[in-house]
Amino acid sequence: MNNQAPDRHLPAIMQPEVPKKRRFSPGKAPIVPPGSVTGRSLVWVIAIMGFLSCLTAGAVYMINDSAAAWLRNVATEVTVQVNPEGTPQQVEQRSQDIVNFLTGQIGVRNVELLTLQQSAELVEPWLGQVTAVQDLPFPRLIAVEIDRDNPPDIKTLRAVLTNKFPSAMLDDHRTWQQQIRRVTGSLALGGIVVIVLMAAATIGIIVSAARSAIASNRDIVEVLNFVGADERFIARQFELHFLKLGIKAGIVGAIGAAAVFLLLPVMTEYLSGAATHAEIRRLIGSGRLDLLGYFSLLVVVAAIAGICLITSRFGVRGILNAQNQ
Amino acid sequence: MIRLENLGLRYGLGQEVLRDVSFHLLPGSFHFLTGSSGAGKTSLLKILFMSLKPTRGLAYIFGKNVTRASAEQRAGLRRRVGIVFQDFRLLDHMTTWENVALPLRVHGKRQSEYAEDVTELLKWVGLGERMHAYPPVLSGGEKQRAAIARAVIGKPELLLADEPTGNVDPQMARRLLRLFIELNRLGTSVIIATHDYQLLTQFPAPRLILEHGRLHIHG
Repeated sequence: MNNQAPDRHLPAIMQPEVPKKRRFSPGKAPIVPPGSVTGRSLVWVIAIMGFLSCLTAGAVYMINDSAAAWLRNVATEVTVQVNPEGTPQQVEQRSQDIVNFLTGQIGVRNVELLTLQQSAELVEPWLGQVTAVQDLPFPRLIAVEIDRDNPPDIKTLRAVLTNKFPSAMLDDHRTWQQQIRRVTGSLALGGIVVIVLMAAATIGIIVSAARSAIASNRDIVEVLNFVGADERFIARQFELHFLKLGIKAGIVGAIGAAAVFLLLPVMTEYLSGAATHAEIRRLIGSGRLDLLGYFSLLVVVAAIAGICLITSRFGVRGILNAQNQ
Repeated sequence: MIRLENLGLRYGLGQEVLRDVSFHLLPGSFHFLTGSSGAGKTSLLKILFMSLKPTRGLAYIFGKNVTRASAEQRAGLRRRVGIVFQDFRLLDHMTTWENVALPLRVHGKRQSEYAEDVTELLKWVGLGERMHAYPPVLSGGEKQRAAIARAVIGKPELLLADEPTGNVDPQMARRLLRLFIELNRLGTSVIIATHDYQLLTQFPAPRLILEHGRLHIHG
């Protein structure tokens, strides 16, 4: 190497290094043009995936929320059934005795003997309106409210009660609670399976899109190779576009799903009668997502963006690696 | 710097394009690579640039056997090499300035570090007024100068140029040759593939002559 004295007629890169002043810089275009990587149709496909995933996540959240509310209510109450053996007066007297017995027990907050009419209303959804209640052998029902902070030992209470009043049966709704848990668990699992399938489909779409993005930007990839860019640098030029695509499409999908959840109560009321609406409310609660529910939609958006980023990173690097072999 | 031993290259099942090519180039050397059209100049440059693997023989670039180098190692070696292609290979969606700055951007430098150098180099190669123009509107000569500027902006240890003066007038050809010579004086090894006789006579450098796939060294 022959070092020369500074020459004013040569470019600066050939001059000895001197501190530089900042000057106007002419801008920095993206190395890979965004339009050549993620077209509008791809944005819409991923947005639809995001929309369906958000709907599923929101629905699972809503059903779980409603089930948790049912279980909370059910857990604070046990029911005592009194067999209708003997005359109505005898049954009434026995029921009152049980009420008196339960009222004094530790951990019992309130005891209420339901009237025959109230019992009839409970079976109304199955039997319809029963006018001759007195003639039917309805068991008398006693609703026992449990002190949640100091609950009684249900096993002991049941044993003492049945010992003292053989015609009484205490039901803590455990079987029903288990069924609800099983049903909501199955629904949640179904929802997760749907979301996993959609994530798998999204991964497939992104891998395919990455492949065509590299093919359509072959010249750029070649030039980047020539100027010494490694696979990581080249992959980064593509993955940034896919990350933006994921965020944009995820947000569009989440906004669509949020709009559905906002309009759901109005839609169910409009599309179904008042009675059906009441049934739906029993199943899915108010039909509205709470703040945590909307947060779950944001988690879906983040997951879609993450899938787009990671899939494109590994997809592009895998393709480049195969090309360089 | 570069050592080739019994290097051979054939495309598919065709005849060998390069046969038993052997030479050793020292750091800071300057060579012209000549030969008739189709003699294999571009193929040899591609091997030196690691974009083509020889079918036989050994090729050491910067002491590394490139026939066995991984993609990452090849990328690392390419950062030390500047190349000017016959077909320029400029990116159409980037301005001339951005094209020239690309190697530095890829090397992870900040724009503030190189902005002035890029602008000045572009002015020096006569593209000061065209630095914001996109390649599709540049003439062949302008594209060539932009491609040369891109190859030299990173002060490579090895410069490979394939017909770098093919599309410029004699005055600009002399100016570009001077750029290569000055770069060489600063330590860059230079190989210029050309059959521009005028260029060959302007600088007394050894010539690598390719004839029927075989290499002869003159000077």
